[in-house]
Amino acid sequence: MNAVVPGRTDGAGRRAAGSDRQKYLEARPMWKIVLGQFVEHRMAVAGLIVIGFFLAVALLAPVISAVTGLDPARQNVLARYQPVGSWEEASAYQREVRVERFLRAGDRRAFEDYLLGLGLPGPGVGREEVVFELVTRHEPGELRTLLRTLPEPGDPAARQDLAEFERVVRDFRSFHLFGTDELGRDVFIRLVYGTRVSITVGLLVALMAGFIGLLVGSLAGYYGGRVDTVLMRVTDALLSLPILVVLIVVSAIDLGKVLGDTPFAFIVDHQYESVIKMVIILCLFSWMQAARLVRGSILSIKEQEFILAARVLGARDRTIIAAHIVPNVIAPLLVAVTLGIGNAILFEAALSFLGLGIQPPTPSWGNMLHNAQDMVQHAPMLAVLPGLLILFTVISFNYVGDGVRDAIDPRSIRR
Amino acid sequence: MTAYILRRLVQTLVVIGLLSFFCYYLMTLMPGDPIDEMIAANPFATSADAERLRQLHGLDQPVHVRYWNWVKMIASGDLGYSRTYRVPVTEALGKSLLNTSILAGTALAFSLLVAVPLGVWAALRKGSRVDYLVNLFAFAGISVPSFWIAIVLILLFAVYIPLYPAGGTQSIAFGLGPWESLLDRVQYLVLPVLSLSFLSIGTYVRYTRAAMIEAMANDYIRTARAKGLSWNRILIMHGFRNALIPLITVIALSFSTLFSGAIITETVFAYDGVGRLVFLSIQRNDFNVAMVAFMISVTMVLVMNMIADLLYGVADPRITYS
Repeated sequence: MNAVVPGRTDGAGRRAAGSDRQKYLEARPMWKIVLGQFVEHRMAVAGLIVIGFFLAVALLAPVISAVTGLDPARQNVLARYQPVGSWEEASAYQREVRVERFLRAGDRRAFEDYLLGLGLPGPGVGREEVVFELVTRHEPGELRTLLRTLPEPGDPAARQDLAEFERVVRDFRSFHLFGTDELGRDVFIRLVYGTRVSITVGLLVALMAGFIGLLVGSLAGYYGGRVDTVLMRVTDALLSLPILVVLIVVSAIDLGKVLGDTPFAFIVDHQYESVIKMVIILCLFSWMQAARLVRGSILSIKEQEFILAARVLGARDRTIIAAHIVPNVIAPLLVAVTLGIGNAILFEAALSFLGLGIQPPTPSWGNMLHNAQDMVQHAPMLAVLPGLLILFTVISFNYVGDGVRDAIDPRSIRR
Repeated sequence: MTAYILRRLVQTLVVIGLLSFFCYYLMTLMPGDPIDEMIAANPFATSADAERLRQLHGLDQPVHVRYWNWVKMIASGDLGYSRTYRVPVTEALGKSLLNTSILAGTALAFSLLVAVPLGVWAALRKGSRVDYLVNLFAFAGISVPSFWIAIVLILLFAVYIPLYPAGGTQSIAFGLGPWESLLDRVQYLVLPVLSLSFLSIGTYVRYTRAAMIEAMANDYIRTARAKGLSWNRILIMHGFRNALIPLITVIALSFSTLFSGAIITETVFAYDGVGRLVFLSIQRNDFNVAMVAFMISVTMVLVMNMIADLLYGVADPRITYS
């Protein structure tokens, strides 16, 4: 919409379009109208951009890790609670240990010959000592530039070793943008991987809950009667529970005792057991809103003539639900799912914060806060940062949900 | 009316009964074994002793038998014994129940006092800068993790500017007069109440605003103005009265959120309340306490929902219960 009259506003963050009549008189497809409405909600658009950014971070986490050379799991007890924006240098001993680990990791003879051939690190050094001497004679920064100026080795094995050795040397000095945590792990890269975990849990939970809600809501709304009564009683009962209390009880259960002899036993002791468990548990208790919404819109849709027409033509229940009702229910469901993502992220964070959700070493925004709260006076950033990310993400999803709701609401469509 | 209340009461009781069994069953699925914990401190305990203890506490029986025994015990007025606190459950719960009521009640009152005027104000100036800011504040309120706001409050008002204590329920002091001890309690309440209110304020503002906008768009508002009624009277008797119904629903439903929030808030602030008690007793396998605290919280929430349904009739005389 180009014709925006400055100063005339209608609703928060939206501007009423002006009197560009021609534009409104032409026929436009539904999705264009909805998109136009959505774009007018400035906060929703901003939210969408923030979400896009976090999604990109989540997807690119391994790339970020490779580029910065930071590893979310690497601990360094000598550099705990480093302040924001600090450089950390490995001690001579640590350097020696890492070089030794590098040498033992494989056959490095080609690499050593290559260095000797260049006359490095100096005369009178035996082959066993070459790499050690190189590291002790040069400062880490100096060594890095030296390695970069070396000619390309002809031997492919040596070339590979050189690249690996460069990585080892680079890690002698590392930059911690957001400091380090209680085990000396880099907070920045943990936040990046935490984004991955938290957003994955949020998306999965909301999508699966939306699907369950669609199923329950359409069964209840379409068949009515006793089915409706039973399903809606269950929905209401679940809705009225103090949800966090229930979640605490449920997430405290031991998956081993439940899945012991079932085909799902592989989840127990799986690397991501706590993540899978979290998704399942949150799903079980977050489909109710979606179910109510779907049921509500089906109740109004199923009385309309085109459903009657389909039935007269002999369509089966299955066909009517799938081809006529579901498409009309997608819109409110989309709103529920978007808002559900924010809620799921909040619940995951709350449970992880209490120590019941995602288990370390897998980082999530919530469990980073769990560890941070003990040292909040000395390392406040540890607690502030993950919370800020949660706030930004959840508020973005909520604004987008609000924007979608406004955009698809026929009452708010102005044309 | 009476028939309606009775039917709702029966429904609520059935739900509570089902939930209690569900919860009891879940407790058996938790890691750890109460007997293991009992004998852990005793190096001379043999497996025969463990077996005897198991029989003594009835833990060798299937779940439904144990559940039935528990129900009989509760029905006879005995809430059981807390293993971790080493006192009867009634004693462990009584004080914390009172503390939570104080915390949640104050937070509810405070958030309503802030949220309702804000929501009405934003609704009356729909589309203005005020509306925009209030909306942003409300969205922040519903999006912020409650434990994080608690930590930030501690950082701001207990660490950097040491105005209030960072945690606890009251000072360990003797000989305080009634006035001083009340003041002392208030000191400890300020931060938890603020953090607990933040979330509910967001929800209430949004609902108040939406309900108020809807109510003020009705034709009878125009009629009332044409009649020459004073603006305040229109606002309160015609606008706000009609905005009350959705607000009552939200407040009643928010009791469950308030209680959930209390768990986090009480844990962060080390406030001696039911929420923290539930959390700790679940962590320590103290099932007797956890069950009773869980039942109390669920019952409270369900009863509030029922009261909300009854209050609709007061707010809107057109609603009848037949």
